[in-house]
Amino acid sequence: MSGEVMLETSDLSVTFYSQAALRSVSLSVPTGTVMAVIGPSGCGKSTLLRVMNRLAERSPGARITGAVYLHGENILSRDTDLSHLRRRVGMVFQQPNPFPFSIFDNVAYGPRLAGERRHEVLRDTVEASLRQASLWDEVRGKLRRPALSLSGGQQQRLCLARALAVGPEVLLMDEPTASLDPVSTARTEELIEELKHRYTIVLVTHNLQQAARVSDYTAFLDRGILVETGPTPVMFTAPRESRTEDYLTGRLEG
Amino acid sequence: MAREQFHTQLAALEQELLRMGALVEEQIARAVQSLSDRDLALAQAVVDGDDQVDALEMDIERHCLTLLALQQPMAGDLRTVSTALKIITDLERMADHASDIAKITAQIAGEPLVKPLVDIPRMSTVAAYMVRSALNAYVARDVEMALLVIRMDDEVDQLYRQIFQDLLTVMRERPDAVFQASHLLFVANNLERIADHATNLGEWVSYMVTGRRKVPTG
Repeated sequence: MSGEVMLETSDLSVTFYSQAALRSVSLSVPTGTVMAVIGPSGCGKSTLLRVMNRLAERSPGARITGAVYLHGENILSRDTDLSHLRRRVGMVFQQPNPFPFSIFDNVAYGPRLAGERRHEVLRDTVEASLRQASLWDEVRGKLRRPALSLSGGQQQRLCLARALAVGPEVLLMDEPTASLDPVSTARTEELIEELKHRYTIVLVTHNLQQAARVSDYTAFLDRGILVETGPTPVMFTAPRESRTEDYLTGRLEG
Repeated sequence: MAREQFHTQLAALEQELLRMGALVEEQIARAVQSLSDRDLALAQAVVDGDDQVDALEMDIERHCLTLLALQQPMAGDLRTVSTALKIITDLERMADHASDIAKITAQIAGEPLVKPLVDIPRMSTVAAYMVRSALNAYVARDVEMALLVIRMDDEVDQLYRQIFQDLLTVMRERPDAVFQASHLLFVANNLERIADHATNLGEWVSYMVTGRRKVPTG
């Protein structure tokens, strides 16, 4: 950990048709760490993730105030090049969503979109990304097969490889193991551990044990408010706020 | 409220811990009683009773490990379970010391006491009171009471020094009493160790309530 801040929200508020989803959230994510975002359903954690790559503003009735800094640069600014931003900030969703193309074309999709045409460069990028996503050994020699022929766990890792292929700095993961079996979940968690040395990861999860296992920092959101954030070992053994305590111990009312 | 069943199990764990604490407290009191009265039968009952303490420790330990494995408690609940695990180790050690005192009774029961026991029963009363207070503090999540337990150890230490001096004097004046007096010294030493373990209980309870391991001094 370098101590630098990769991603930071400042006084970030989001409303959907005047319904508050995030209320003045200020959160820093240090470079090269995993930040887990936890909280009850509807607390705003997915919204927070979706503001970080500017997906949230596409939801109907969305209004966003405050700032989100990536390396000190406000990505909510009008001048932000969105396709450039989404190369820097990759996202993996709850349900694996491979394109109905071959394995190769899925991973090569981003680099091609960015203008890469040289086959050998694409080939190297695809291999490197699949290796990083720890899928290479299972799919080498089968890269022309349809992505949808892979198992759920493999599809999720393919989506990760696709996100990695464009060389992001940040990975946003929205419940990445929610639809996976325990073995695939364990693999994905192991992968997060490996990837955090190269990328900064923000992980939204309902699974408290997962947050405890894989993250360096944890942020607890409740009703759009950032209640508490801190090093994960402290958050899970001795949180400061009673609402965090109540949530972690299953005593939180409504 | 979620996790109703788990919280019922936690409450049951607290009850088990109280039961073990009450038993240990009784073992301490009866061990010293057996010494004062030179009651061999009571001393034997204390030695035999140690198995019951050991069995309770294992029960509670199993209960804690099951809760950790199946319920994955967090935050305050995690501290409650881990504190219970630490507390039972201290309680078990205290019971061993009580048992050692009862064995000393058996060694010296044949002869009259060189002097009436005053400070030893007093020490034992304070130590047992520390145990009870620490467990009450555990159940009530009362950090003030836990800190009070820690401070009570000073009183025990003072009594120990007093007993030490007194017995030294006895030994100097009456060489024929050295055997008994040195055994009584062991008794005082066992009580001093019991109070140290009770101090640990206070520290664990303070950690459980505050989440901070270090106990403020003074």
